[in-house]
Amino acid sequence: MAPAVATTPANRARDDLEQTWAYLQENVDKVMHNLREGMDMKTYMGVYTKVHNFCTSQKPTSTQQAGPIHSASRGAHLLGEEIYTLLGSYLSDHLKEVYNKAESHTDEALLSFYIREWKRYTDAAKYNNHLFKYLNRHWVKREMDEGKKNVYDIYTLHLVKWKDDFFTKVWDRVMAAVLKLVEKQRNGETIDQLQVKAIVDSCVSLGLDENDPTKSTLDVYRRHFEAPFLTATKTYYQQESKLFVAQNSVVEYMKKAEARLEEEKDRVGLFLHPDIMKKLMDVCNEALITDHSLLLRDEFQLLLDNERKEDLTRMYKLLSRIKDGLDPLRNRFEAHVRKAGLASVDKVATSGDNFEPKVYVDALLEVHSKYQQLVTVAFTGESEFVRSLDNACKEFVNRNEVCKSNSSRSPELLAKYTDQLLKKSAKAADEAELEDLLQQIMVVFKYIEDKDVFQKFYSRMLAKRLVNASSISDDAETSMISKLKEACGFEYTNKLQRMFQDVQISKDLNSSYRDWYDKVLQDGGEKRSVDSSYQILGTGFWPLNAPNTPFTPPMEVNKAVESFRRFYDQKHTGRKLTWLWQLCKGEIRANYVKQQKVPYTFQVSTYQMAVLLLFNEQETLDYSEIQEYTSLTDEILEHQVLGILVKARVVTTGSEDAKPAAGTKYTLNPNFKNKKIKVNLNVSVKSEQKTESDETHKTVEEDRKLLLQAVIVRIMKGRKKLRHVQLVEEVINQVKNRFPPKVSDIKKNIDALMEKDYLERLDNDELAYIA
Amino acid sequence: MSAKAEETSQLILQSSDNEDITVDKDVAERSVLIKNMVSDLGEEAMTEPIPIPNVNAAVLKKVIEWCTHHKNDPIPATEDDSDSRKKTTDIEEWDQKFMQVDQEMLFEIILAANYLDIKQLLDVGCKTVANMIKGKSPEEIRKTFNIQNDFTPEEEDQIRRENEWAEDR
Repeated sequence: MAPAVATTPANRARDDLEQTWAYLQENVDKVMHNLREGMDMKTYMGVYTKVHNFCTSQKPTSTQQAGPIHSASRGAHLLGEEIYTLLGSYLSDHLKEVYNKAESHTDEALLSFYIREWKRYTDAAKYNNHLFKYLNRHWVKREMDEGKKNVYDIYTLHLVKWKDDFFTKVWDRVMAAVLKLVEKQRNGETIDQLQVKAIVDSCVSLGLDENDPTKSTLDVYRRHFEAPFLTATKTYYQQESKLFVAQNSVVEYMKKAEARLEEEKDRVGLFLHPDIMKKLMDVCNEALITDHSLLLRDEFQLLLDNERKEDLTRMYKLLSRIKDGLDPLRNRFEAHVRKAGLASVDKVATSGDNFEPKVYVDALLEVHSKYQQLVTVAFTGESEFVRSLDNACKEFVNRNEVCKSNSSRSPELLAKYTDQLLKKSAKAADEAELEDLLQQIMVVFKYIEDKDVFQKFYSRMLAKRLVNASSISDDAETSMISKLKEACGFEYTNKLQRMFQDVQISKDLNSSYRDWYDKVLQDGGEKRSVDSSYQILGTGFWPLNAPNTPFTPPMEVNKAVESFRRFYDQKHTGRKLTWLWQLCKGEIRANYVKQQKVPYTFQVSTYQMAVLLLFNEQETLDYSEIQEYTSLTDEILEHQVLGILVKARVVTTGSEDAKPAAGTKYTLNPNFKNKKIKVNLNVSVKSEQKTESDETHKTVEEDRKLLLQAVIVRIMKGRKKLRHVQLVEEVINQVKNRFPPKVSDIKKNIDALMEKDYLERLDNDELAYIA
Repeated sequence: MSAKAEETSQLILQSSDNEDITVDKDVAERSVLIKNMVSDLGEEAMTEPIPIPNVNAAVLKKVIEWCTHHKNDPIPATEDDSDSRKKTTDIEEWDQKFMQVDQEMLFEIILAANYLDIKQLLDVGCKTVANMIKGKSPEEIRKTFNIQNDFTPEEEDQIRRENEWAEDR
């Protein structure tokens, strides 16, 4: 200071300040206490103008002379600090009074008091902020622009004072009252929630960013409200749950916990700040779930055993809220499903080996669908539970009592069941139902490991259905093939599709043959002796073998066959036709039977036909004659021809127990009787089916060997060099969706390929492809 | 008066020399002071003339003229300290004409704009003054604004030396 100069203006300034502040204080006091009575505009303008005039009246005086050069960079000196300071101490004094009054209140009364005072104070703050706007615009702004700390706009000044001079002194008691109130509500009492909400809001409002006063932070709220609130919540629920669990069942506890969690979530919306949500839920989850997770998990098995879906849902929902809460459940669930699957299969197996494939497949499906439903309903279809279900199903579908001796029983039975569904029969399902059943087949199929075995059986049975024209419908067949294709790819169903095509092509071929043959007959003036139709089946695609017996077809058949051969040769030169006599069949009419107006029609195999036609020449034939004319082996004659004919009493032997051997005479039975006019003699024998199944299993082994070798060669051709271990790994990868290969088998086939000079072993444990 | 005109409420402003001036509310509210007061006290309290103790009728009318012309301008964000506003001394044509008044009036308008808290008008006023200073020597500036040189020659010399770097050469 330079007191020597201009004492007079300094004195005048002091007078001015005193006079100004006296006026301002009087009116600020009114704003603070009597705002509800309103304010007239003269006073409003008066206060504003007073502040304005004070800040503008004094020109920078020569008191600033100490540094006119420095002030050049600072610009004009702005007035207002005195008023700002005075207002600040006025607020401090006011709040001291408020605090004194607060002392006499406790609990809810304290809350009401706090809220009332807060409301009055902040309303006044908004007013004062406008009345002192000139100060804000100039002095405060300059101070803040220059980076001064602890200078705020007038409204914020109010908040800062509240926080420093009132809040810090009274908050602990306020918070205690809040917590008491909330506890009351948790105990079921009705409380005035708006009170808590108002407290929360005021606490949030006090969050000022020290670095940027225009922004607010949640720091104050977090430290002074959130933290104590969370601690109290945790303590409350720890105590409550401990007590509740001791006195109630786990199921009841889960209901309680669920309700409590819901309640706390609602509480946030009702009167808390949304910022607390996650932390509050974490605290509740810990106290209500994590602390009791062992107990809950122990109950899981019980709930599964009793199929308590609703409780399982509840448990899932609870444990899904905590970290790693569900993993132990998944493991138990998987074990449980596996056990259920095995038990279901055991039940089927106890009734002996001769159960229907349908029973077996249904047993598998029943378990699967039951638990799939549980996963969907109780576990919201959560992907990890789906995986546990899949793992369990895979396990009991491939390894169970029925498969014990032969792991490929599952695919075999599944294929057989599919065959039953797709075969024409009296109790066949309607279209929609069938599609549904096929879908279910695919469910089991998905779990089958030996998919190649299924393929094998399926293709054999498809071949039979096609050759015998016994498919329920083309649509159903196509639908099933496309399902398999979708599941396993083009390669898997390639042959199936070709078989299907062959049959379609054969249909066209037959009709053009008929036209051709009619013309031939016409030209030669002949008449048709035998009605015949043919199927041309591509050798590579059909799982069929040439007949295992020599055979001389009867003359009538031979003629028809020769005629077709001529036709076919014309159409396609150089194709060799092999006749699969064992699959052919025909119908013959028994005109010889007495006392029958409409003659019987016999549906017979070609072999049976050949034998029966012999009786057109003689009434009685010796076994050796029959064998001579037909060239059939003993076995075929015994089981598939004479055995059946004798049993049906189409032919008779001299004595009952006559063996099919040379010397035994066979006579046509003229007194043959049957209820039906069409008699089917073309039936297969049980033992025949069994050998067929065994054979199929045998070819599976052979095919696997070939597949493994093909895959090995394919990989090596691509990679040229590969370590042994890697090769094995690759092979497993490529083959595993057909069947699970054994490492020893892969090694064996690698060795086989080395012997065949496809591969060679290098020094460094690598294998190389020999081009 | 048509029905529509009646809907736009009006305020009466009373100048320091006790002249009542009726003005549309939205025009008057270009002044943040008036705007805040109306919202604080409530519109229904505005029955009497609003005293404007620091502004005389002549200046107040001038300010109202400006506010009327600019009543539809967008109100800039409160903390609009963008460089463009600070640096440019461009003034739109209407405002230039508006500011063609004697120096006394010009300063009165600036003071009134500051008092009434009409930021844009304050800007226009200050820019006008800035344009009057631009390109002039200290002597010329003193002449323009009728300022007495109260520096001693030594002081003046010192200041000149210290500010040499800023000279426009």
